[in-house]
Amino acid sequence: MGALYAMIGIGLTIVFGVMRIINLAHGEMVMLGMFGAFWSQKLWGFDPFLSILIWAPVMFLLGVLVYRFLLRKIIPGGELNTLLYTAGFSLLVANLALMLWTGDYRTISLDYAITPMRPMGIAVPAALAIGFGIAVVVTVTLWLFLGRTDIGRAIRATSQSREAAVLMGIDVERVAALSFGLGTALAGAAGVLLAPSLYLYPTVGELVIVKSFVIVVLGGLGSVPGAIAGGVLLGLVESLGAVYVSTTYKDGLGYVIFLLVLLYRPSGLFGVGKS
Amino acid sequence: MRRRGAAAAWIAAGVLLAGLPLVVHNSFLLHVCILIFMWTVLGEAWNVLGGYAGQVSFGHAAFFGLGSYVTIILYLKGGVAPWWGIPLGGLAAAAFSVPIGLIAFRLRGPYFSLATLAVAELAKLVALNWEWATNGPTGFLITTLPPLHLFGVTVNWESKAPFYFVAFALMTLSMAAVALLARSRLGAFLVAIRENEEAAEAVGIDTVRAKVLTLALSGFLAGTGGGFYAFYFRYVDPDAVLNLGISMEMVFIAMVGGLGTVAGPLIGAVFLTTVGEAVRERFQVGHLIFYGLFMMLVIRFLPEGIWGRVRKMSARIGAREVRHGAPGG
Repeated sequence: MGALYAMIGIGLTIVFGVMRIINLAHGEMVMLGMFGAFWSQKLWGFDPFLSILIWAPVMFLLGVLVYRFLLRKIIPGGELNTLLYTAGFSLLVANLALMLWTGDYRTISLDYAITPMRPMGIAVPAALAIGFGIAVVVTVTLWLFLGRTDIGRAIRATSQSREAAVLMGIDVERVAALSFGLGTALAGAAGVLLAPSLYLYPTVGELVIVKSFVIVVLGGLGSVPGAIAGGVLLGLVESLGAVYVSTTYKDGLGYVIFLLVLLYRPSGLFGVGKS
Repeated sequence: MRRRGAAAAWIAAGVLLAGLPLVVHNSFLLHVCILIFMWTVLGEAWNVLGGYAGQVSFGHAAFFGLGSYVTIILYLKGGVAPWWGIPLGGLAAAAFSVPIGLIAFRLRGPYFSLATLAVAELAKLVALNWEWATNGPTGFLITTLPPLHLFGVTVNWESKAPFYFVAFALMTLSMAAVALLARSRLGAFLVAIRENEEAAEAVGIDTVRAKVLTLALSGFLAGTGGGFYAFYFRYVDPDAVLNLGISMEMVFIAMVGGLGTVAGPLIGAVFLTTVGEAVRERFQVGHLIFYGLFMMLVIRFLPEGIWGRVRKMSARIGAREVRHGAPGG
């Protein structure tokens, strides 16, 4: 789960870093990705894992459009307004999905992923293992993209200091639209990869958004390596907690660590930002 | 003059509203009114902290849920009638809020919001898994309410009217409490904290104390709202009273009405409850679509809230009167 959590976390943290907004609709983007994978398999017979090639660009486009037409005018209104606006948006998307697809729990079954893989004697569900593999590839690619390309550098520069980025001739507006698209695409892609391993239902976003906050804060809001570390850490804590503490409280364990980190290292374990 | 006139108008409207069930017997209308009153209490609860003190909480469902659980458990296991249980639920939520406040107020801005979110999620997990106290996911159901005789009349719990009066009283008290707070020293401290916390501290305000006190009041109001919920709906389970949606709805109501105003939550509750109930009739599943849409439209076009805009406009008219030499003020 760790790498998938990391992908969702990176999406959220990039958006926060560049625009200083916490996108409460991020979980819904994951949900849309999950349903995308479901429908493309059901209707057109696409392999859910390969459908990432369709859904990631589609979600990117959706993100850019949402930014251009819905979010851009709101951001100058302040943090609270933007936060609530995205909360309203998340309600809208989740309930549209509920109306279109009903609240049924669905699953994706894959013929080749029934028998679990057994690396080093530990049984791992094959669907999760494949998802993990792709997520690692995506994360590494993204890392290279942010570090080595001009656009990636522009995104990082803007999140470090918006004013300085403007002075260096970066088109901050374009960077904002791009990074919102990128964040959305990452969430959608993570949703696609998660779809074969989880139950799908329209309000799954609520669960995802809380977890992604935990991830992002663990690593420090706005920090990409932090989000990766936070994602891996939360995945580890949850699976170890399920084994050694109890399955019912494994989610609770994540929140407790989250609160502790908030209290003692509010800038995150790998913090770059200020509290 | 102007001020006294406004006060008289409020009181007249209040008296008229209080007598409504004596004239109107349409139970759907009364139900909508009860919901509006309940949400006003909850909106006020959030608004004290979020609107006046500027501390945005995403976890008020924890206080709401605690209040509703205390009320229902006291009644079902201890035989304490709900009308005592409601204030006790509020007190329990207020007591719970103090340690939460002492911990969470070490954080600022979005970090505080996220911490409250985590607190509420933890509360939900506890309610789901602590079967001994909370009955786990099944929750509690009240089948019969205790008989009550008031002024020689036996109260009919099957009608809406008694609930209407209780909800109305709770709303009036909560609005009065917030109005008093807003005019008190503490109210001024809170606005100072909202505008600039460092400066407030520098002039000698004990900001942590002020915030913890406010959170206790806020928790108390949310807890009584929760207690009323248990009393009216007679059903409490973790998904109903402890979900993120409850916390968000409190924020929405305060926001749509107008942050940091006494009447704002009432206006917000009127709008959002009516929008919610009106579309619920027609759309079984998707009524929250319109809720979300309405939210987005308000923030886009009325960022200061409906009541905030009304106040601003009336202030402008007042200013014009003064400029023209009319006897205003």
